[in-house]
Amino acid sequence: MTQLPYAIDAETPLNPAELNVLKAQYEKEGDMVGVQTKFNYAWGLVKSNVRADQHLGVMLLSEIFRTSPERRRECLYYLALGNYKLGNYGEARRYNDLLLDKEPHNLQASNLGALIDDKVAKEGLMGVAIISGVAVAAGVIGGVLLRNLGRKR
Amino acid sequence: MADDHNAFHDDLGPEDDTSIVSTRGLEHFSRKVTTTASHLIGPLADPNAHPQYANAMSEIARQIQRPSIQRSMFSMARTTPTDLVRSKLSAREIQSRALSYVPEELLENIPEGDNSYSLFQGFKATFPELTDEGKKHRRRVSRGRKLLDDHHHAISPDSPHAVQKLRKEKGSMMHELEMLSIRKNMASSEIREIDNKIANLAGMRKIILERLAGLEQEEALMEHDILDVEARLEEAQDLVAETETTVLHTPTHSDDDLVKDEEEEGSGFMSQSIYEKLPSSNTSTPSKSKKPKSIRRKSMPILHEHFEPGTSIREIRAHPDSITALDFDAPFGTMVTAAMDDSVRVWDLNAGRCIGVLDGHTASVRTLQVEDNILATGGMDATIRLWDLSKSHYDPHGNQVEEDDDGMAFGNANDQPVDPPADSMADCGLFTLQAHVDEITALHFRGDVLVSGSADKTIRHWDLEKGRCVQTLDVMWAAAQASATTSTGEGTWRQTSRASDRTADFVGALQVFDSALACGTADGMVRLWDLRSGQVTRSLVGHTGPVTCLQFDDVHLVTGSLDRSIRIWDLRTGSIYDAYAYENPITSMMFDARRIVCAAGEDVVKVYDKVEGRQWDCGAGVTGAEEGKTPAIVERVRIRDGYMIEGRRDGVVGVWTC
Repeated sequence: MTQLPYAIDAETPLNPAELNVLKAQYEKEGDMVGVQTKFNYAWGLVKSNVRADQHLGVMLLSEIFRTSPERRRECLYYLALGNYKLGNYGEARRYNDLLLDKEPHNLQASNLGALIDDKVAKEGLMGVAIISGVAVAAGVIGGVLLRNLGRKR
Repeated sequence: MADDHNAFHDDLGPEDDTSIVSTRGLEHFSRKVTTTASHLIGPLADPNAHPQYANAMSEIARQIQRPSIQRSMFSMARTTPTDLVRSKLSAREIQSRALSYVPEELLENIPEGDNSYSLFQGFKATFPELTDEGKKHRRRVSRGRKLLDDHHHAISPDSPHAVQKLRKEKGSMMHELEMLSIRKNMASSEIREIDNKIANLAGMRKIILERLAGLEQEEALMEHDILDVEARLEEAQDLVAETETTVLHTPTHSDDDLVKDEEEEGSGFMSQSIYEKLPSSNTSTPSKSKKPKSIRRKSMPILHEHFEPGTSIREIRAHPDSITALDFDAPFGTMVTAAMDDSVRVWDLNAGRCIGVLDGHTASVRTLQVEDNILATGGMDATIRLWDLSKSHYDPHGNQVEEDDDGMAFGNANDQPVDPPADSMADCGLFTLQAHVDEITALHFRGDVLVSGSADKTIRHWDLEKGRCVQTLDVMWAAAQASATTSTGEGTWRQTSRASDRTADFVGALQVFDSALACGTADGMVRLWDLRSGQVTRSLVGHTGPVTCLQFDDVHLVTGSLDRSIRIWDLRTGSIYDAYAYENPITSMMFDARRIVCAAGEDVVKVYDKVEGRQWDCGAGVTGAEEGKTPAIVERVRIRDGYMIEGRRDGVVGVWTC
């Protein structure tokens, strides 16, 4: 059994009933909520496909990070994963790199690092494509306009 | 988990295809180009023969292998443009980022994790438990295993199928075992977590308790100031009234008296009682005396309720001789003690100071009761005296405050009683009830009804409004009557065989409520009387020694006896509800909403917690052995709202939370 989940685990949402069970448990414990219960709910939220849930999940994870120092190291990974799922690649990389710094041989972390690189590259390419497309279009229109102007003269 | 890893890469496939510039598409394209090219050229010659062509093709292929280029191209970019746009423009995103942001200093402070399981493992272990599906699954697993066992003999053990099945079973069992160990670790770490929380809360409680103590102290000071201001206000008003009357010159002397009378009645200090009207009090009160002011505090101290049960609040060296009776009106209120040295002392429990000494009884006081400001004492001189404690000349924070600054705080055990002014209690005496012919051993009053039990074997019923005896109840006669009417002999006077009986009080304890009277006598009987008819309505048989103490509320009647037992009776049915015993005869008992406290011939007070059903000891004897002290035996004990006082044979009074 592995200590940390692979990113795939975060991609499979729980059904609403299951999430409600976790939520009920979390709310039942109120202010004195235990770390495990909090994490269970947070993890259930991160796995969700709803963006608001994911936000809440990451927030809870950061709360765990703040309040229980003994869980900080693994929380780095959960935070990285949560932010990765949110698309906050900057944050995700920040946490993941820190974890890799401490545990260079962490399989899950290096796997997540590669995934983040991939996503950034892909979306970056897309961005470049869009920008270049816009630039080409602008160039063409500009050229046409210029030519028209030139003809008029 | 390894499967998951692989599956993940497979999952990424379709996502790749959906992107606009698909690397896979390009690779496909390049592969097609190479195959077509080799197909065209292939039949003519070996591709190796045309190095220049192969070189060109591989060049193209390398160029078309986008991902590596992309990676190198965007490696300097920390994140994607969409992320950048989102983080700068969407208010909701910015808010949630701010909430979940972890500051750098926290990131730098990451201790080495030595947890036996990760939170994710904990999640994995608990999650199936939480959901119904998981439970179903577990059940299925166990049932499946049973089925497997059942069919075990059907399949020949040497077939490869069986081996596989067994291996699989072993795997799943190992997994379950792992889960179990994680769950176990989780439970233990949760306990540790709770322990930490408890420690934190205990610390917080201590801080708040200190705050409460400070507040209570301030409150007491403020009350004192209010009293001061009130007195000054009164004086000012009197002065104004006087000047007015002198200016007007109209009112006669009798009018003035009338006004005074009204004033006194309107003061409302004793609205429901009429003791003030009695001749003795009015004549003895000088017309110029200040309005009686209540010693009782306006606010209710609650500090003691938050102390650990069994904490000593104060120890007072009250008398040089054994305490015979004591009572107090409210926690941190006024206490009255009587001892073998024939003196009766009044104490301010808040400051731990003696307010004054009550003179009047010619022999030692055996029993007393404090209710609000009224004190009733019954002595060996066969008289009952009533006192109004509010008439004492006592300033709760008077001139002794300077020398005893922390007088409000809990004093130390060696506090020597400060002698009060000799005449501080001079105005307190109300009147004396004289009719008994032998020592008073028990008394109780409620409202205008006072009952007293005496060694002359009678109980007298007094009307405090008229100040006279209403009826006399002859216990022996009642016992004889009861035995005559009921053939069971349950009501007869039973001579108990104990040697100590001769020294025991004939009437050990009394309590009255309207027309209901309960009395415990030396024959071990508890009799319930109806004061309207003067008859015994019920006799409770059970104690084998003289009854020394008794108290009832709306449901139960609790009695203590020299036979060493405490009995709790059901008032409605008259049957025994509960009973327990100690090692020594019980000399005093009282209960409040939660506990029954007893003085049972030991240096500690025996406490029975009714709510928890727990017996424990409270008092100096608990720690006395460690401190090298030998506290005297507790003779008398009283409790109100968890505030307990006990009087010992050496004259020391201890105050405890209970």
